[in-house]
Amino acid sequence: MASIEVNGVVIELDEDGFMVNPDLWNEAVAKALAPTEEVTGELTEDHWKVINYLRNYYLQFGIAPMIRKLTKETGFSLKEIYDLFPTGPAKGACKLAGLPKPTGCV
Amino acid sequence: MSAIKTIIHLETDLHPIPVTTTEPEKRVERTKQLFERMKNQCRAVVMAMENCTKCGRCAKECHVYLGTGDPDNIPAARADLMRAVYKKYFTAGGKLLGSFVGARELDDELLEKWVNYFYQCNECRRCAVFCPLGIDTAEVTIMARQILVYLGLVPKFHMSIAKQVDKTGNNMGIPKGACIDSCEFIEDEIREETGVDVKIPVDQKAEILYVPSSADFFTNFDTMVGAAKFFHAIGANWTISSEILEAGNFGLFFDHDFTMKSHNNRLVRIAKKLGVKKVVQGECGHGWRAARMYTPSLSGPVPFEITHIIEEAAAAIQRGQLKLDPSKNDDKIVTLHDPCNAVRSSNLMEEPRIVLRACVNNFVEMYPNREKNFCCGSGGGILMEEMIEWRKKVTQVKRDQVRATGANYLCAPCSICKAQFPVAFEGYEKEVPGFKIGGLMDLVGYALVLE
Repeated sequence: MASIEVNGVVIELDEDGFMVNPDLWNEAVAKALAPTEEVTGELTEDHWKVINYLRNYYLQFGIAPMIRKLTKETGFSLKEIYDLFPTGPAKGACKLAGLPKPTGCV
Repeated sequence: MSAIKTIIHLETDLHPIPVTTTEPEKRVERTKQLFERMKNQCRAVVMAMENCTKCGRCAKECHVYLGTGDPDNIPAARADLMRAVYKKYFTAGGKLLGSFVGARELDDELLEKWVNYFYQCNECRRCAVFCPLGIDTAEVTIMARQILVYLGLVPKFHMSIAKQVDKTGNNMGIPKGACIDSCEFIEDEIREETGVDVKIPVDQKAEILYVPSSADFFTNFDTMVGAAKFFHAIGANWTISSEILEAGNFGLFFDHDFTMKSHNNRLVRIAKKLGVKKVVQGECGHGWRAARMYTPSLSGPVPFEITHIIEEAAAAIQRGQLKLDPSKNDDKIVTLHDPCNAVRSSNLMEEPRIVLRACVNNFVEMYPNREKNFCCGSGGGILMEEMIEWRKKVTQVKRDQVRATGANYLCAPCSICKAQFPVAFEGYEKEVPGFKIGGLMDLVGYALVLE
């Protein structure tokens, strides 16, 4: 199984590069995962707005929010989210926020 | 664990499927036993084993062969991977003459091919429409995958869904709290758009249990909005259930014996608990087949009707019960993709067209259509990340079909199709600005005038 080391902590990743144990997430992990999802350069305030919304929703409800809710609550259109996370909200944004990979017909 | 090389990631932990992984040295014996049972249960597969004349008719009808050019992806050749084993153990010719008549031992090399090629079949049944002998390769694929389950060879992706369904009753793993939160959000959005209070009851005693696809609570928002508006418009006494927020049933694709049956049993149990007279299935092609074709037969008798929301919408339109303004969809040129399992396995053919003609002014058929339509390229649950490049290859024919219509809205009333098409049509927006992929109830929702 693949893994990365962030600040001395080994973070295990699944076949698609998502965190196996989402509890180990922190901002440094998000930064370390960014290049794997075509997010280049520093994570901006806009990136963090999306990441933090997903993270908080996940901690409260145990799942990613509806994409429409994500766009409404963050104020970003779907296109703007794709501009921030080129591989999309379900893949890039969820991965950086330390959520498990959404499964099913997505 | 086996040393066989597969194109898909396999899962070693098969819980909740109650099988123990077969040791590699016992696989042949186990497979023989499974075949023996199959011979008595699955006459369609036995017919397929005995009757292929290798006429080649199926080759050009299979989008997987057309897209990959790999001769093992010709439906007749795919079925031959199983036929070789059948001949070896169950035919006099195969026992005596072996490879001279195409009989083969199920060794690791052949097993590797089984995994790799039976997981390149979309189980779309298009080959069966054209086969002069009526051979249905999807049935062969389903049986092969079932045998692979007993041998402990199951894709990680399929297992992850089986595990989520076992835990939560839906593919995505949506817990009750998130379900309620999402329903409240949908109600707010509809109120904001229309000024009308549309309720989405959860876990209520009702006359109708609506079973959406769990993807409607993630990506396919407008499909769920359309369904909620529709039930409101007909004045239905309806509910959804947080315990079965899933029309899909991946067990149909790879494990009838446990995964499919247990989800069908769940449907029956919850429908009975809520005291409903009718179960209405949402936009999911294969789930409709599992519910309609296999629930009364394998989990019945069922004291309720099982229908599809598109049938319900078509009937309401014909009764004159819906106030629709098709001009709301005038920004769209709509074409319809018939999902395989809806159109080739469970008779949902004219109803979507009745609904479309009432909801949009610009509807263009793609060709071929209805039972001759080509699959989206992810049927059979081939939605894995590791199959992305393959998924793009096998949908070349679909892109050509859609391109010829000039449509800017590809209507695909099935969650697998809706998940596959953004992959298949990557970059297509440059050709057709504003190109959109969506469901059929989405269009109903846009056109419905609520009071």
